[in-house]
Amino acid sequence: MGAKQTDFDIELAQINSRIAELEGDALQLPVDRTKITKLAYLQYQRASLTGNLAELDIAERTLDEAIQHLGPDGDLYFLKANIHFKLHRLADVQRDLEASPDLSQSPPGRALKADLDFQQGRYDAARSEYETLIEEERTWDTLARLAYFNFKMGDFETADRLYDEAVDELTAKEMRHYSWVELQRGVVDLSRGNYAQTREHYQRAERAYSGHWMVEEHLAELLGAEGKNDEAEAMYRRVVARVPRPDFQQALGELYLSMGKTSDANDVLEKAHAAFLESAQRGEVHYYHHLADLYADVFENGPEAVKWAQKDLELRRNFSTLAAMAWAYYRAGEFSKALEMMNESLASGVKDARLFRCAGMIHKALSPNGTADRYLQMAAAINPNYENFHVHR
Amino acid sequence: MADHNDPNAVNSIFSDIAISAADLYDFFGFPSADTDGGEKVVLALTFASIPSTGVFDTDMLYRMQISGDPRVAGPGDDENTLKGLLRYFDALKEKYLGPTTKASEIRVTFDQSQRATVKFIGFPGGSFSTVVDTNQVRSIQTPDGYSIKAYIGGRDDAFFNDLTGFFRSINYAPQFYHVPHTMTGSRELKIPKTLIELEGNHLFNRDPNDPDWGYHGKKRELPPGPLTWNGDKFARDANGNFRFVYDGRDCQAGININAIILEIPLRFITTAPERDRIVNCWGESWVLKAADKIETIPDHPFWLEHPWALIDAIKLDDELKKYKLVDTDGQPFADAALSEREDNRQLGANNFWLAPHFIKRLAHLGWGFGPSITALGLQTSFDHDNSPVSVHKTYSLVTAAFPRVKKTLFQRLNMPDDSWNPKGLDIPLRRPFEIFVPNVCAIDMDTTGTWPYGRRLEDQVATRFLSMFLDHTAELNGKKYHIELLNDQSLWDSAPIEPKTVPNPKKNDKEFLTDFPYLAEPWQ
Repeated sequence: MGAKQTDFDIELAQINSRIAELEGDALQLPVDRTKITKLAYLQYQRASLTGNLAELDIAERTLDEAIQHLGPDGDLYFLKANIHFKLHRLADVQRDLEASPDLSQSPPGRALKADLDFQQGRYDAARSEYETLIEEERTWDTLARLAYFNFKMGDFETADRLYDEAVDELTAKEMRHYSWVELQRGVVDLSRGNYAQTREHYQRAERAYSGHWMVEEHLAELLGAEGKNDEAEAMYRRVVARVPRPDFQQALGELYLSMGKTSDANDVLEKAHAAFLESAQRGEVHYYHHLADLYADVFENGPEAVKWAQKDLELRRNFSTLAAMAWAYYRAGEFSKALEMMNESLASGVKDARLFRCAGMIHKALSPNGTADRYLQMAAAINPNYENFHVHR
Repeated sequence: MADHNDPNAVNSIFSDIAISAADLYDFFGFPSADTDGGEKVVLALTFASIPSTGVFDTDMLYRMQISGDPRVAGPGDDENTLKGLLRYFDALKEKYLGPTTKASEIRVTFDQSQRATVKFIGFPGGSFSTVVDTNQVRSIQTPDGYSIKAYIGGRDDAFFNDLTGFFRSINYAPQFYHVPHTMTGSRELKIPKTLIELEGNHLFNRDPNDPDWGYHGKKRELPPGPLTWNGDKFARDANGNFRFVYDGRDCQAGININAIILEIPLRFITTAPERDRIVNCWGESWVLKAADKIETIPDHPFWLEHPWALIDAIKLDDELKKYKLVDTDGQPFADAALSEREDNRQLGANNFWLAPHFIKRLAHLGWGFGPSITALGLQTSFDHDNSPVSVHKTYSLVTAAFPRVKKTLFQRLNMPDDSWNPKGLDIPLRRPFEIFVPNVCAIDMDTTGTWPYGRRLEDQVATRFLSMFLDHTAELNGKKYHIELLNDQSLWDSAPIEPKTVPNPKKNDKEFLTDFPYLAEPWQ
């Protein structure tokens, strides 16, 4: 008798089965709108579920075919915009949203535009649109978006309340969504060093929707933060075996480094490094951030870190890319530029222990005027364990 | 990979929106012919047969709320004013939502073995719970010695109507076209509503070469260009006949539903059945919240930590707090026709705050249906200034809409004969505003329970709904207009219209049963 199927297995099998049913004739001419839209959606869903980003290309090809025959349909462009958003192709997201006036005026289109505003550092616009959308209709995903916004701005109480409300909107028919929200709540607690609460959220996520690699990946980070390195390693290895993505290899490599396993670390980090570069050579942009981090934190190669952080910054100027740029300059020994970037990042209003830690380090390199200590204290106030293992999300 | 929040990664985006077990279809209620041992009332809540006919979703909770009340006269004819109407709605609000009022209720949930747990809460004889088999007629013995008949299972859909015809009449695009979900403003298109086709309304007029368009899921691509109509008259054929938007087909033929059907002694509902002659009732569907699906969570943190967040919900008991209200059902067409199909307006009995919206929506419909009725040579209750053709008009002010619909709202709807009132009692004819607000099925136990004194299975409620727009003070062949007039074949035989059919089928596709559970056996 085989092992009990997980929720993940069951859903993936259903998606595969439905794709197999459609693949035969959804692309036949004349194109059937319902079938081809469903096929593209399922392909997108499979890519999201499996974490296999290459499959997003398949979904996008289906969408392009559909748009060619059906014209600028808002639903098709919405799906396309989501793919581009996932891949950090933010200019394309903007174009997708503008391709269909119906889409840009619809609530999902407006929510995605607000996400875009957030990614591009237009924080007031993002917050305002999230709040307007919630006023119009309280949907779990918009509540979760605003919760994340508040989390990043350091209003943990409001974030928690909004996540509560998001959860309250979710029904037994949306357990995967519920699981995802629980993971986000765990991330909030982890960012504050509340490991027990983080574990509760992650365990609840697993109970809600069993077998998802995303839960294991989050749990692995928690174990690493707690110093349970052997368990973390085992879990990361499982995740990498299931989803051989370079960002997870990077996380495993950095865990190895923290464990003093230099040889193992070099092995997986080189693989991650090579994959990140191959992706960039293909013209993809979604791993720029990881390249900047890898060069800055692991290889301690300032100029290369600056190069990749700059590329990312050109795509989206937000607190995160500014902080990455600042940190890259720090590694390159260009402390004044680092401070300039860091100040712009901090001006966003974001309150994050690791951001404050970077600010402290940059100030420390510049002058002994006490500002560094203040930032390090602010970091510790948010998360006393801010130096512990963490991944780059 | 992502260094950002990404709910879309897990959101279902726009996959096809599947039919849900939470989709309520109809609420039927009428006095039982079986009066052995006292009067009984039959209640039937029907809903989508998901996951399948006779098989129930274990995440669902279905609820019937029931209140036995005296028959009271609404505001008098001298109060036929907007102010009087709103005052009446306020009084009703107090009755249904006030601190001292609470309806009794029946809740039904299902376990993995498909047995139904039925809870009776707040009845005069107390509250109790029992477990019954599904798809079988069962007798439930109450603590105070009554016997309730119950059938919870799959049946044939008892609703029979030309739903496509109705959607054609209101230019509801998703019935005829693939309308992207992002085109939220392109559902009811800005074209006059009408009972007869508009000349040049190519977006919705019947295509003789494609008679099934709009039926059985047959849709077209939404054409480019403005989705409007610029004509100025009704369409006529070579013989000068109008073209009906309906053709009388039964769109529900061959379709099954799941149902909760109960036959309840009136004395179980009220201790004063001689006084409480009206049984007000409505149905609700609730779906289990995600957090409560995980049994090991002792308490939902939301309620513990943020009790102020949803004040109304605090009134709920521990069981209902675990569920989310999805749909309500009391009166037919209360949501579909009078609330522009906006899901968040499906408030069931608690639709008082929609009263101004109800008046404005009725005026909007009146500008469509009123001129079509006039064109057919009939008298309408709606004041359309003798418009020769239907008009697309919406209102932002209830004060502007009210004078147009005053007669429609306040006229007493005539019945075709006296059979509805077998005891010959002095029961006032019901008026539209009393019927639709609150959104409950108000069963008058001294009548047959035919709509609007309840709802019997054989009632053609879709056609009766349209009769609201007829002038019930007018006469045809020496007889006052009545709620069955549009269901009279002889009317259409002599009308300048094609096809010469009643709007909706006259009977169900399967014969109803003469005994409990009354709804026909499901289709295999």
